[in-house]
Amino acid sequence: MLRAAQSLGKPGSFGGPSTTSDLSIDEELVLHTIGWEPVELVTGVSIYSVPAGVWNWGSGEIVSASSAHLQAFAGAVKRIHAECARVGGHGVVGVEVERSVTRHHITVELTGTAVRPVADTASSKRYPVFVSDLPAKDFTLLETAGWRPLGLAYGASFIYAPRRSAGTAIQQKGQNIELTNYTEAMYSARELAMERMQEVAIALKGTGVVDVKVTEGPMHFARHAIGFTTWGTVVALTADHHRTIEPVVLVALDDASAAFDASSLRG
Amino acid sequence: MTGKPEDATAAPKDLPKDAGRRLQELEHGLFTSDLSVNEFLLIKEVGFHPLGFVMGSSIYHTGIQTRKWGSSQELTKLTEAMYNARELAMTRMEEEANELGADGIVGVRLDVNYYEWGKDAAEFIAMGTAVKAENGQSYRNKKGAPFTSDLSGQDFWTLMQTGHVPQGLVMGTCVYHIAHRGLGQTLSSTGQNVELPNFTQALYEARELAMTRMQDEADELGASGIVGVRLEEKTHQWGSHTIEFLSLGTAVVKTSDEVTLPRPTTIISLDN
Repeated sequence: MLRAAQSLGKPGSFGGPSTTSDLSIDEELVLHTIGWEPVELVTGVSIYSVPAGVWNWGSGEIVSASSAHLQAFAGAVKRIHAECARVGGHGVVGVEVERSVTRHHITVELTGTAVRPVADTASSKRYPVFVSDLPAKDFTLLETAGWRPLGLAYGASFIYAPRRSAGTAIQQKGQNIELTNYTEAMYSARELAMERMQEVAIALKGTGVVDVKVTEGPMHFARHAIGFTTWGTVVALTADHHRTIEPVVLVALDDASAAFDASSLRG
Repeated sequence: MTGKPEDATAAPKDLPKDAGRRLQELEHGLFTSDLSVNEFLLIKEVGFHPLGFVMGSSIYHTGIQTRKWGSSQELTKLTEAMYNARELAMTRMEEEANELGADGIVGVRLDVNYYEWGKDAAEFIAMGTAVKAENGQSYRNKKGAPFTSDLSGQDFWTLMQTGHVPQGLVMGTCVYHIAHRGLGQTLSSTGQNVELPNFTQALYEARELAMTRMQDEADELGASGIVGVRLEEKTHQWGSHTIEFLSLGTAVVKTSDEVTLPRPTTIISLDN
């Protein structure tokens, strides 16, 4: 760990011919069409511990779990950012977000490919290093339309849902009825998490957040604790105006039966 | 019975208080969206701008209804529960979009999730991206509410090129109990090629009920058609003989005869 932290501080020895990247050939080619190239595979990991016993009893938000998740995310982003800067990248694309929330730990792992413009022009340096979970293809499309990713926005919240009393549970047994305790807890968790994500986006001076992903539901180890986590890529219009992409309509004349999957009909 | 159950529309009009602050931030210019980059750019292409990621959800307890082992029938109490809970989620999502001044919601997803809370409690959730026309023209539907649509950004773009405008996500549902076959019936058909009329009929009727209810919703919106219809059959947690038939689609109206869809280029890919 210490050695890893020290090596992050040292300047990178890039300039050699070797690059590592998890981009496919297609993605690499499409990246070259806008004058960018991959540099290196970079990662950022952060593990936070959660105090014992916070999941089962209490009321309202489980503050220590929420903040552990936010800090783990922030720590992982900071590290992948530092690694990217060290290898001379201008941004990280295709970041894969792996998270795990267990009773005692919250882990966030980010892996992506650092990219940079082939010709180091002054205009490309105008923007800060970004981290984005958009694939290289999407990054290219955004650039073409005059937009640019600015960073990852993330939010999380864990809320304790009040238990129903035994009397209420029996009374509601045979009825069609909304369970307001769970619904409200779910809403609170969602609103807090989404708001935190938006705060990160505003801090990055973004215009919007695209490709927002959410995970939600009770924790498998504590069913009265409801978690809501969300993340997405912050984007901003960096060109003078939005450039239309003028899509072309294609009809593929490939054998339909090869692509047709009957099981998809059943939903 | 063709109309949807009566109290399905009895949804509360209030949003949970926490939703307020998030939506206020969205009104100040930042947008959030679960659209992919492709979809985002295509929405921009047709002159819409995303406003925010909107959602509605309800955690709902489904009641109990006894089923007769040997008879096929609709389980109205369960049908009502499925309608009610989905309406609650949809209405809450629409309220959020309304708050943002949206013209519509695209890419709506309706999900039912079962968690560890027991087999009778399920979460019904609706989410999508609220959009607004950049030229200030209103695209709200006949009822003055934002349109909803489960079409993807790609489908929305294509639809708009052909002079159609979505009006609303319409759905019909029917929870049906399909009779078990008696011993005599089973024995008499053993070893034979024979149609099983009671099963066939029950499945037919349940599907028809769901489809008819969906069409009724589209009629209410004055739609000229429903596109992207899906018919889903789910047993949820009820065992193999109780099935929910859910049909979902986007009701559309034709607003102009002008088709701006470019002539498709035909391709034959040489990939393996």
